[in-house]
This record gives sequence, C-alpha cells and structure tokens, in this order.
Amino acid sequence: MTTTDTVAAQPDAALATPGLTRRTLTVFARNKLALTGALVLLALLAFCFVGPLLHPTDQIHTDLTQAGLAPGAGHPLGTTDLGYDVLGRLMHGGRTSLEVGLAAGLLATLFGTVYGAVAGYFGGWADAAMMRITDAALAIPALFLLVVVAAIITPSKAVLILIIASVAWLSPARLIRGEALALRSRDYVHAMRLMGGGGARAVFRHIVPNAIGTVIVNATFQIADAILYVAYLSFLGLSIPPPAADWGSMLSSGITYTQVGYWWLIFPPGLAIVLVVAAFNFIGDGLRDAFDVRLAKR
Amino acid sequence: MGPCSTRIRGPLVRSLAALLLGVLALTGCVPRGNVVTELGATGGSPVRGGTATMALPPASTPNWIFPIGAPGYLASYNSAIQNLLYPRLFMPEKKGGALTMESPHNLAGQPRYSDGNRTVTIRIKKGRAWSDGTPVTTRDVQFWFELIRHNKKEWAGYSPGLMPDDVTSFDRVDDRTFRLRLDRAYNPTWFTANELRNVVALPVHAWNPAGEDPKTAFARLMRHAKSLSQFATDPLWKTVDGPWTIEGWNTSGRVSLVPNTKYRGPDKPHLDRVVLKPFTTTDSEFNVLRAGGIDYGYLPPSVMAQSGRFRKMGYRIDPWESWAVTYIVLNFHHPTAGPLLRQSYLRQALQRLIDQKSLSDVVWHGSAAPTLGPVPAGLMDGDPYPYDPGKAKALLAAHGWAGRDGTLRCVRPGSGPRDCGEGIKDGQELRLSLLSQSGSTETSNTMQAIKSEFDKAHVTLDIRQQPLNTVLGTTVPCKKSEPVCGQWQLGFFGSQGSWYFPADPSGESVFATNGPSNMGNWSDPKTDRLIRDTEYSDDPAALRDYGHQVARQLPVLWVPNPAYQVSAIRNDLRGVDQNPTLTLAPQDWYFVRKGGTGA
Repeated sequence: MTTTDTVAAQPDAALATPGLTRRTLTVFARNKLALTGALVLLALLAFCFVGPLLHPTDQIHTDLTQAGLAPGAGHPLGTTDLGYDVLGRLMHGGRTSLEVGLAAGLLATLFGTVYGAVAGYFGGWADAAMMRITDAALAIPALFLLVVVAAIITPSKAVLILIIASVAWLSPARLIRGEALALRSRDYVHAMRLMGGGGARAVFRHIVPNAIGTVIVNATFQIADAILYVAYLSFLGLSIPPPAADWGSMLSSGITYTQVGYWWLIFPPGLAIVLVVAAFNFIGDGLRDAFDVRLAKR
Repeated sequence: MGPCSTRIRGPLVRSLAALLLGVLALTGCVPRGNVVTELGATGGSPVRGGTATMALPPASTPNWIFPIGAPGYLASYNSAIQNLLYPRLFMPEKKGGALTMESPHNLAGQPRYSDGNRTVTIRIKKGRAWSDGTPVTTRDVQFWFELIRHNKKEWAGYSPGLMPDDVTSFDRVDDRTFRLRLDRAYNPTWFTANELRNVVALPVHAWNPAGEDPKTAFARLMRHAKSLSQFATDPLWKTVDGPWTIEGWNTSGRVSLVPNTKYRGPDKPHLDRVVLKPFTTTDSEFNVLRAGGIDYGYLPPSVMAQSGRFRKMGYRIDPWESWAVTYIVLNFHHPTAGPLLRQSYLRQALQRLIDQKSLSDVVWHGSAAPTLGPVPAGLMDGDPYPYDPGKAKALLAAHGWAGRDGTLRCVRPGSGPRDCGEGIKDGQELRLSLLSQSGSTETSNTMQAIKSEFDKAHVTLDIRQQPLNTVLGTTVPCKKSEPVCGQWQLGFFGSQGSWYFPADPSGESVFATNGPSNMGNWSDPKTDRLIRDTEYSDDPAALRDYGHQVARQLPVLWVPNPAYQVSAIRNDLRGVDQNPTLTLAPQDWYFVRKGGTGA
C-alpha cells in the first residue's frame, strides 16, 4: 500500500513543487490587470472589515433628524432617507455582500467540483443521469429560481448563501466533469485502479487535485457571480431584512431618490459592486493564465 | 435641479453623450420634451371617446367582483370597481368639507324614515334597467337581502346585531318601492350612511333563474366569484346595471372597463374605455408615469419636490385626501403574542415608541398626518399617548420587564398591578412580528423606523413584507382555536390608509366585538356600548365619547395617516372628482382638446 500511495501521489506532488508554484505566482504577478484586481479586492476587504473600526457608525438604529443629508462634515458620503451614514453603511453592506458572495461561490464550487468529478470519473449511466439533472436545472433561469425561493423563505445570510449556491453549482459541475473525463484515462489513474484503489480515492486524490487550476479559476468567477446574485435579489427587495444591508439593497433604496438628485445613495454602492465583480474577474483571468500548462512551462 | 440642455456634436461623442444621459437620468436631470399634453389645467373643448389609463395602488391587484364582499377581499379598489358595475342604492359623496349620502350616482332616491325611525321606505329611481333590458326592481334588492340574511357569516360586512339582523321584515310595496321594518329606532343619519350603504340590487333573473334557495345560490355565486381568471368571460358578470361593464380582467390585476350601452342613469360615460393598471411598486408606477404611459397616476412622496416638473409635462397635481385612519392591527387572539398585546400598559408603551410627527414629516415628506384616534382628528382633543420613549421604558420596567441588552424578558410573571400580566410566562421575551404590506418605500421606511425605536427600548420587532392581497388575506378576524390566528401577530395594510370611514365615522365594523373589519379581535364592553350609542343617537357627543374611549384603550397602534395618493392627472383629462371614500366615477371623466373654453 505504501508503494501504491507513492506512485499515485506523484502527479499531485509535482503540482505542489515550489518551482511550479513560484512560476504560477510569477505569471500571475506579470498580469497587471490581475494584480490590480487583487489589490482592489484587498482594499475592499480592508474597507469593509477594518473600515468600521476607523469610521464607527450606528447601522442598527434609524435617526430621522439626520435623514437625507448631502455629503459633508461628519458624513463624508451623506446619509440615507432614514439617517444612516452612507459610508458606514457601505462598509457594513459590503460585509454582507462579500461574505454571502464568497461563501456561496465557494460552496457552489465545492459541490459542483465533487459532483462533476464523480460524474466524469464513473461515466456510464451515473454520468448520464447526473448530467441530465444538471442540464434540466440549467434550463431554468437562475434568477427566476432565486426569486421564487427568496419570496417563499425569509432570507437570512445562511439562507441566502444556500439558495445562491443551489443554483450556482451547475456551471462548475459541467466544467469539472469535462476535466474528469480527460483525467480518468491518465496512466496514474489506471495504475491506482490496478493496485486496488477505489473510486472515492481516485476522485479525491487524483481527479480533483489535478483539476485544481480549473477549480480555482472557476471559483473566482463563481464568487463574482454570487455577489451579483446577492445584488440582484436585494435590488428586487428579496434581501436580508433591514436593518441589515448589502450593496444591492442600498442601490435599490437609492433608486427611489433618483428624481430628487440624491446621487450619494446610488453611485457608492453601484461603484462598489462594479469594483468587486471586476476585481474577481480580473483575478480569475490572471489565475487562468497562470495555471495554463503552456504558460506554466515557459 | 432644472432641466439641462444636451446638444450632441459629431458621432465620436455619441457614446459619451449616451453615458452622460444615463447619468443625468439617474441624477434627475433630463432634457425637455417629455410633454404629454400641451393643454393647461383649464380650457379646451370636450371631446367624446378616448381611453383613460389609471394606475392602481402599488402591489394591489383587484381580485373580487361579486358585490357581496368576502373576508380577505375588502380592498378599496375591489369595491370601487364593483360600484361601477353594480351601483349601491346609496353612496357617499363629497359636499364641501363633509360627506353626504345624496349622490347623483345613487340607484335610489333619498330614504324616508317613519314610525319613530323604526321604518325606512326606499324608492328605486325611475327607468333603471339591467344591461339585458330587464328593469331593476325591488325583487333584485330583495335577492341581495335574502342572500346576506341566509349567509351572513360569509359576508364580510356582517356585524352581529346589525344588517341584516336589525331588519325584521323586507316588504316589497311595488316594483320600485320597498320598506324595511327595523328592530328598534335608529339614528337616521347613521342608518343611511352605515347600513343602507351596503344595499345593492343584484340581477335575480340572471343570477338565480332557477329560483334556488339563498344558501345554494350564494354558494354557487361564491364559486364564480373566486374564479379570477373568468371575470371577463363569465356570463354571470355580464349583466350589470351600472354605467360600465367589464372588457378585460387578468390575473395580474389589469382591468379594462367599457361603457354599458344600455345604462339609463343620468351619468352616462363619455370615454370609450377606462383601464386600471397594476404596479408592483410606487417606483415602477412612477417610471411609467414619467414616460407618459398613464393618464391618471400618482407621485411617490419621495419625489413630491419634483411635482413642478410634472406640471410642466402637462399633469396637474392634486392630493387625494382620504377619510381614513391608519394603524397597525394587533392580533389579540395570537397564542403567544395575544397575552402580551392584551396588556393595556404594554400597548401604551408601544404607542409611546412611535414618533408619528417625525414619521409624517421625514418618511412621508409631509404627505401624512399623525392619527390620534378612530374618528377624524377634529373630533379628538389630542394624543393621549404622544411619543415618549422614556415613559415607555418606565412603563415596561414598572411591570416586570428587564434586560439591558437584547430583548426584554418578563421577570415578574403574574396578574398583579406591577406584574407582566396574565398569560405571560416567566422569562418570556418581548418579541413581536409584524406582517406588513410591500411595494411602498414609505411604508418600509416607517416600519424600519418603528423597529429601530422598539429596539432602543429592547423590544424586538421582526418585520415580514408581503403584497397587499396576501396581508389582507392573512390578517382576518379569527377565533383562538383557528390556525390562521397563529399566522400573524401584528399586521399593517395602510400604505394608503387602513380604515376608510363610512359617512358617519362610527366604529361598529372595526372596533365592535366581532365586527367584520375588527381584524385583531378586539373586544371591550364599554367600547361596544359607546358604539351602540352612536347608532341610536344623533348627538355629536356620542361620537366624541366613542373616539376618546378607543384612543385611550388602543385596540390598535396608531401610525401616520397618509393621503390616499398625490395624484398626477393629465391636463386634458377632466371631470375627475377624488372622493375621500375612494369611490370612482370615471363616467364623469372626459378628454378635452386644444381650443375653446372647455369645462
């Protein structure tokens, strides 16, 4: 068994060598857009999670005496129609958007990866059945499903994560299933099977680790999409109930005041959504280049 | 921000200009040119025909056509449409600053009271007929009376002891005259305004040709009334005696009315068609209004400051003041919240946490006014429980509620004067949930501000928003044993007013024990007695005493009462009279064209 493990683990070990990791990081660092995306993301994370320490505000209780103030002293980005400080709300709302987006994106990627890897590795009727389920689910517009579910259930952070992940896993599942179909015919997989290795071992020790590049790249896009889903749902009024906020719900509230020129209720959350989604997409593009075998072998 | 000039030079800058236009639109600065009519608010020559489109309230879909209302289907727009098809015998009409029951739209002449106000004689106006040519007779009114007499529990307008219980006999004198003998003497003003307003003629020849007994006929009619998708095609609803008939009625709430060509009343329609259009939110309505897609819409309170722009676009702005009060309903029969809400001190504390003035001024942008009690503000002396969070906290602390962080808990259970109150368990949290209507930014903000104030006093309020029809269908009067009673604790359906008074604003429907609109199941013997006084006596003091009693007892939590809507009406659409009881009379509407003096 010791010999088997060593042989089977070789490709994984090769992937984890410091040389290859360094080359991957080097290629990523050379991509200016990806690097900018990473910096923007770090800045947004710091803004949302460290910012409230530097600019503490009450985002629970309304203050009608401070409602609808334009940007100025004390409120750099003005106040909302209920007197919440917009800068502080942007930080607190960003936490929700990022936490839900990250968690939903990662959960969808995790489930989709395992689902796709199992379908691709085992093939046959299992693959056919599992992929038909995926195809059927993909045929239903995701936003429609999300709206229906969110209208039935009162959304909380956990619920939002689950309902977004429940529609977002389909894309990684198909992608990883394609990878698994190619990887299952590799020599090291055959060798492992000849030595008595089971399906679970093949999936978790060989298929998934060798598709990790695709998984990570896809995860970044999944997170970006999940953040957008949060924004869509919130914009449609299906977000976590107030006083909690996220960027989508802030944008939705701000639209009401478009006609009276309360620009500070619209542009900051809109810009934040654009920035974070663009940042994740740039990072994803950079990682795809970095994991690309041809580039890695340069 | 005024209108801005946007001149575009050269194709290279078009994309930038498009982006700029988008930004300008977002910031409320749009170019001129979106003018729907060149006419001013007066002048012009009347023309026949045309289609007028009116916006329905946000998240509201008409869903009841049968003139006998069922619980859960009492939205004002339902009865407004019914009255256009099946006009009541008596309808309230604005006359100066007051309401009168002498409306030209009435199907009957003024009632005559005799026998010491124990008998009422009513005569249907001459020449009225159904759309199939059959005359409207007292048999049609008797059909209505027999339906409600034998099915009163199913009728949403039923109050025990009142119509039909208070009518001992219905006598048909001839085809146009009938007589009601009453079980005692009533205040004639009250009886006409609050009892006779329910009376309607129903086409017995078309709806009950086989002469079924009232129970069987009613069950059959109710089955038809619940087929929303069939309202426009069901032959049953084609026989009408009002000025309008249904052309279309879809399940999303769009209703299209065309004139009843056989209508013989004095108020024949001038227009070819009236379309009532539903919207999910005030914002979506506002966007269509801005695009000129509605002839008669409304401005959200948040854009009241922009009304000048709409005047320039060819609309006149006319607030539709409502004869109403607005409140949060408390479900006294809820298994866990009921014992809390039954405590008078607790209701007083909650009321003192609602800052009605700030909510009216800030959230409603001045388009609402504090509600002081169950009768018009002029009859009230003042607010018995004004906003005072300090007193609210002291009241709760004095009755055994403690806990600095999070939610208050009862630490002194019991029914003594300093205890939490009967039915409240040791350690029970002061946590309530509110089912509120969706679609209105102002309502959402009001509830959020109230939640915030409650939270400061460590009272937890969970808010759930649903469309109006869902809220109305859930917050219905119930018995403690009924499952529906456990589905809601506090309810709100008052984005455009919770309760529209009848012409005589007594409260037998809404605050009397077992009243049909007593959604929270309030019961107080003294209130019942004072309500009865208003029914029997025309002394203004009776109404005042009833108002003060209910204001002090707090069977509901009063919140700001908004105007029904701030209407934006195309300048070339005339004849619109905004009745404070929310009846519609589109038969009086007409378009004008440029030239002449018009109307």
